Amino acid sequence: MLVLASLTVLSLDYHGEASRAITHVRNGVADALDPFQRGLASAMHPFGDAVSAMFHYGQLQTDNARLRSEIGQLSAQLAESNYASKLEAARLELTSLPFAGNISTIPAEVIAGASSDFEDTIEIDEGTSSGIGKNEPVVADSGLIGTVLSASATTATVLLVTDSRTTIEVQDERTGDFFQIQGNGAGRSLVLGPFGTSSGAASVGSELETTGQTDGSPASDYPAGLPIGRVASVHTSSSGALAGEVTPNVDLTSLQFVAVLQWLPPA
Amino acid sequence: MVQWIRLAAVAVLALVIQAAVLDQIVAWGAHADVLVILPVAAGLVQGPQRGAIVGFVAGVAADLVVQLPFGLSALTFVLAGFAAGLIARASAASDGGLADVVRCALLAVATEVLYVLLGAAIGQPGLLGAQTGRALGVIAVGAVLLSAPVLSIMRWCFLGARRGGWSSVPSGGSALS
Repeated sequence: MLVLASLTVLSLDYHGEASRAITHVRNGVADALDPFQRGLASAMHPFGDAVSAMFHYGQLQTDNARLRSEIGQLSAQLAESNYASKLEAARLELTSLPFAGNISTIPAEVIAGASSDFEDTIEIDEGTSSGIGKNEPVVADSGLIGTVLSASATTATVLLVTDSRTTIEVQDERTGDFFQIQGNGAGRSLVLGPFGTSSGAASVGSELETTGQTDGSPASDYPAGLPIGRVASVHTSSSGALAGEVTPNVDLTSLQFVAVLQWLPPA
Repeated sequence: MVQWIRLAAVAVLALVIQAAVLDQIVAWGAHADVLVILPVAAGLVQGPQRGAIVGFVAGVAADLVVQLPFGLSALTFVLAGFAAGLIARASAASDGGLADVVRCALLAVATEVLYVLLGAAIGQPGLLGAQTGRALGVIAVGAVLLSAPVLSIMRWCFLGARRGGWSSVPSGGSALS
């Protein structure tokens, strides 16, 4: 009976009305969990970072050398401002992103990571009460990081560009050639591929950005000109098609502040 | 009735701990999962019927906080709780010792494998990949650390209840039929 109940619920999730009801329930639970996540987020960040550090020791050694050279500068800055004002500054910086153009932004703080090990999402501390809606693009200081997957009154879930469900049309910032990139899992490079019948040639180091609406294609999920990442490698697949890897501009494993763009695909 | 209340309280507490604490402690891009241990522990401690029921409750709770198909966790956990109960029934009785912890951790990992396979079978992208192995490794370590306390909590939940019995399941009946 319980197996049948589970299968029924599973099938309901694929039906429009029931799926919307499930989304409402999920949003309600997200709102209920929000105070706990906010309350523990600041306390858990240092502990979570320490655990993460244990598993990335080699990377840390490299980072350590680089960071030592920055300590002098940061020490001076720290003397001038306290931690709270720095956080506020980071938030404010996200309200005037050059690549966002005239699109208004809503800054938000990341309060939790994905609840499943098999999806790549984050929870942010702003929701529909702040004007955030489903499908709105989410950026950090140096580019696109994802899309709002669902939003409750006080929180929103963001599907990161590295999630396997994400596919984005992009173009080479310099040559204008079109490509498609797809998520490949948390902490992994994005997968580069051809866009439709486009036969553009990508080169290592090329900067990629969103295309926006292009002639003859359906409405884009993103406004034009949002930087995403840099081509890290290019090769030809066994079928002869373009293939490669793209390194995201933003380190998605250590996000703290993001901004939601008040932009929706044209109807 | 008391067992139901305890079980509901444990499920809510587990959900809060998962969302507010465990989700923040990420290693190799993955984190420990306490909800998956609940049905396995219940099955080992109380048999297949209660394992399946706890699996359904824990699975629905898990489905509420992830953005994957609703019901996938419930289905997986029901099967896991029931299987854990059958394994416990076929092997030596639960002794509360190290053997229980090892069985619980192994079954928790097996449950995640089942989750991945069922998810892939219904066409969910990204479940089978390089991340899968890392996630299973982290879940295994988490399960080893969390199994002992979860087993104790499950014993407390069903304190005073007859092993294998459940008021809503008729004698000789099955929670799966």
